[in-house]
Amino acid sequence: MSLPSLAADVRAFGAAALKEWRLLRRYPTLFVGFLFWPIALPLAYVFQARGYAGDSAAALDAFAARSGTTEVAGFLFLGWAAYMWISMILWGPGTALRTEQVRGSLEALFMTPVSRLVILFGPVVSQVVWAIWMFGIVAATMALVFGVEIALASALRALVVIGVAVPALYGLGALFAAVVLRYGEVSALVQGVRGLFTVFCGMSFPIVVLPEWGRAVALALPPTYLIGDLRRVLLSGASLAELVPSLAILLGLGLLICGMAVVAFRRTERYARRGGSLAQY
Amino acid sequence: MAAIDAAELRAAVAVARKELRVARRYPLQLVNEVLQPLYQFLLPSLLLGATFLVGGRAIGLESVTGTADLAGYLFLGTVVGGLVSAAFWEMAFGLKREMDAGTLEPTWLTPTRPDTVVLGRALSGLVIAGGASAVLVCIGLALFGATVGQGLLLALPALAIAAVSMIGVGYLVASAVLLIREPNFFVDATNFLFAVVSGVAFPVLVLPALVQPIAYLLPTTYAVDLLRVYALGTRPLLDPALEWGALVVLAGLTIWIGRVAFRRTERRMRVRGTLGQH
Amino acid sequence: MSQPAVDAVGLVKEFEKGRRTLVQRLRREPDRRERFRAVDGIDLRVERGEIFGVLGPNGAGKTTTMKMLATLLEPTAGSARILGLDVVHQAREVRRRMGAVLSDGRSLYWKLTARENLEYFAALYHVPAAEGRARIASVLAAVKLDDRADDYVERYSTGMRQRLVLARALLPDPELLLLDEPTVGLDPQSARDLRDRVRDLQAQGRTVLLTTHYMEEADQLCDRIAIVDHGRVVALDTPAGLKRTIGATDVVHLEIAGDEGAPVNGGLLGRLERQGQVTHREQRDGALAVTVHARSARDFVPAAFDAARAEGAAIRQVEVVPVTLEDVFISLTGRALRE
Repeated sequence: MSLPSLAADVRAFGAAALKEWRLLRRYPTLFVGFLFWPIALPLAYVFQARGYAGDSAAALDAFAARSGTTEVAGFLFLGWAAYMWISMILWGPGTALRTEQVRGSLEALFMTPVSRLVILFGPVVSQVVWAIWMFGIVAATMALVFGVEIALASALRALVVIGVAVPALYGLGALFAAVVLRYGEVSALVQGVRGLFTVFCGMSFPIVVLPEWGRAVALALPPTYLIGDLRRVLLSGASLAELVPSLAILLGLGLLICGMAVVAFRRTERYARRGGSLAQY
Repeated sequence: MAAIDAAELRAAVAVARKELRVARRYPLQLVNEVLQPLYQFLLPSLLLGATFLVGGRAIGLESVTGTADLAGYLFLGTVVGGLVSAAFWEMAFGLKREMDAGTLEPTWLTPTRPDTVVLGRALSGLVIAGGASAVLVCIGLALFGATVGQGLLLALPALAIAAVSMIGVGYLVASAVLLIREPNFFVDATNFLFAVVSGVAFPVLVLPALVQPIAYLLPTTYAVDLLRVYALGTRPLLDPALEWGALVVLAGLTIWIGRVAFRRTERRMRVRGTLGQH
Repeated sequence: MSQPAVDAVGLVKEFEKGRRTLVQRLRREPDRRERFRAVDGIDLRVERGEIFGVLGPNGAGKTTTMKMLATLLEPTAGSARILGLDVVHQAREVRRRMGAVLSDGRSLYWKLTARENLEYFAALYHVPAAEGRARIASVLAAVKLDDRADDYVERYSTGMRQRLVLARALLPDPELLLLDEPTVGLDPQSARDLRDRVRDLQAQGRTVLLTTHYMEEADQLCDRIAIVDHGRVVALDTPAGLKRTIGATDVVHLEIAGDEGAPVNGGLLGRLERQGQVTHREQRDGALAVTVHARSARDFVPAAFDAARAEGAAIRQVEVVPVTLEDVFISLTGRALRE
């Protein structure tokens, strides 16, 4: 790839992200949603956990033994932050291409000389702003409302974990986009995948409470590592060295998934060119 | 007058029948009515609950509510959660969807009152919610060890009264939704808050002191509590006789307020001319 | 004399532009939004048994007027009675006896069959249960959809959907039908079919009030026409009567060139104006294109040739067409119906 064409692609990336940002700005209720849900959803689970702990110290001890922490609120908030980030990726970039297809603008996009990577990953970039916002809200709530202490060193380690998770999660979004483009029927797929992650990735629980087969499924899914490592770093004070094995798996999964996404996308594009379905809905 | 009322009733039934007919032609959506509460709420909640088990028993939950039947507690909560959802999504949001699609306007050209059309949507919503709840409770009994006693039958009138009150709430939400341009977040958030504060997901007693009084103003709080009292033997929030009374009074109030609000909205739309727009 | 089917007096409808924010409402700030009048004082009297047309361009206030008569919109001022009943205070009674087509096939349920759609609306129209099946069969036959009654509406063509919408409006066995732009979006054959159905309805003794911006439709179908523009009725009469008001029976289109390419002088236009009403002039390809409303082309055309010769110009092309309602509209408003 030559420098001028790389520069052009980077500019195209920026333009794609800006377009998505402008579209988001036209729907102000989305802003309110991004303030409400990161707090309300995990808070409901915190109250639920209080109900489960009740007046029993033994129950709380059981939680601590299984989860590795006594910080129930922190445990739940981190799990749900990850869930919301994944949701944003699946609903957003994952469906962006399908939305373009439905709107009728996909063909025009494909006719530009821009790299296919830009088309696939461009909309994803605008999501980064929302992700930062959302994690910020969660961190603030944890610290200010529940008194969870977050040291700067832990916060930086958490950012590393998030960074390592980016290829895996955005790769999932891109893979999802390619599959959706080929087979249509967005909503059922998104619900299915979200369901899978909610039940197996430990968003509201430690994966040790899953049956053995459930744990096996969990360990094949990237969000499991993201959530587990965030909790270990921020709630149990784990160092990066302790996380190396799990981060390595997360990165490896990420590269694998990105590769699958590119292959799937190329196949979809070839199929569409043959069948003319770029313009179809 | 009696002949006219019979005609309105027939119209409401026709609306419900139409909704159910259309729903049957989207079978995946019907399956989702059962699957979504399962993976979005029941399973994560059960797994969280499992984290607190001591010797396989939910002793923490028992200390607050009087029952250790975690699955029964949660699955019965979804029954009332389904009623709430029917009011917000089927009655209110569904109405807005019809308006945007253009299928609402022709109904306003008929002698049937618009609030009768909304009532018809409530009926179909309750049928679907009822069906989904029944399936979910069976799943709870078969797969998750819920042990719901025969006392459940004694609580069914409470469910019926709660359904009536949710129709009132549905009218209220429908009024708001017809006037708001993008109601998605509003419906999503208020549905969530209503269900949560009613104690669908956890005991009302763990709510902060400032929020608890709101729970006592919601008819669904009493419905879900009575359901659990009769089916699981939990400790009631208040004297059950008082809860029955509160449920009936609140149901009457919500129906009245809801219908008044809806009729006002209808009038406003005829003056503003916003029925056909979106 | 029997009471008219529609009797509207001084109907006005004013809308506010834009929306008030929540903050403005909570602060009870005065409503400073701009108001505009979609309907600015319309009087209409439609006799029983006639087909009455309301003709005008888009934005003239036709649909708003229809919505007020159909009880969907409350008038800001004025009054209207449908079959003797007040549209505001006796709205439900009005809806029992009137059928309206104010929308197209998108107002049907595409996931239901035609019959299922009609069953639904029959209940909403309070058609007695015992009569329902027969009534549905009858309206399907009236619009010639009886053989496709059990097909899903999503498989219907646009023309068929529009006929089904008409069938729906016939369910209450109405004395009066309001049709708002009933043939918009239809191909010529479907539009013709629909007009035939409208004539059948009149033959059954029903009254039809329709709006359109197609002048041929109004001309062919309507017993009387009200021409509306900017929310007001600017003329009301039979089609023939309206055409007579412009004092012409023929429209003559001339293409005039100056001698050896020279521009046409103003004197010629002055002479033409003495013979008829010049309604349009345009420079085109070095020639002057002129439209004249003439009392008689037979008298005007020879006079035009004489005038041209006298002024040193030559008439290259002559076209004579009969006066249409479009010409009436232009002469009344200075604009075309389809601008």
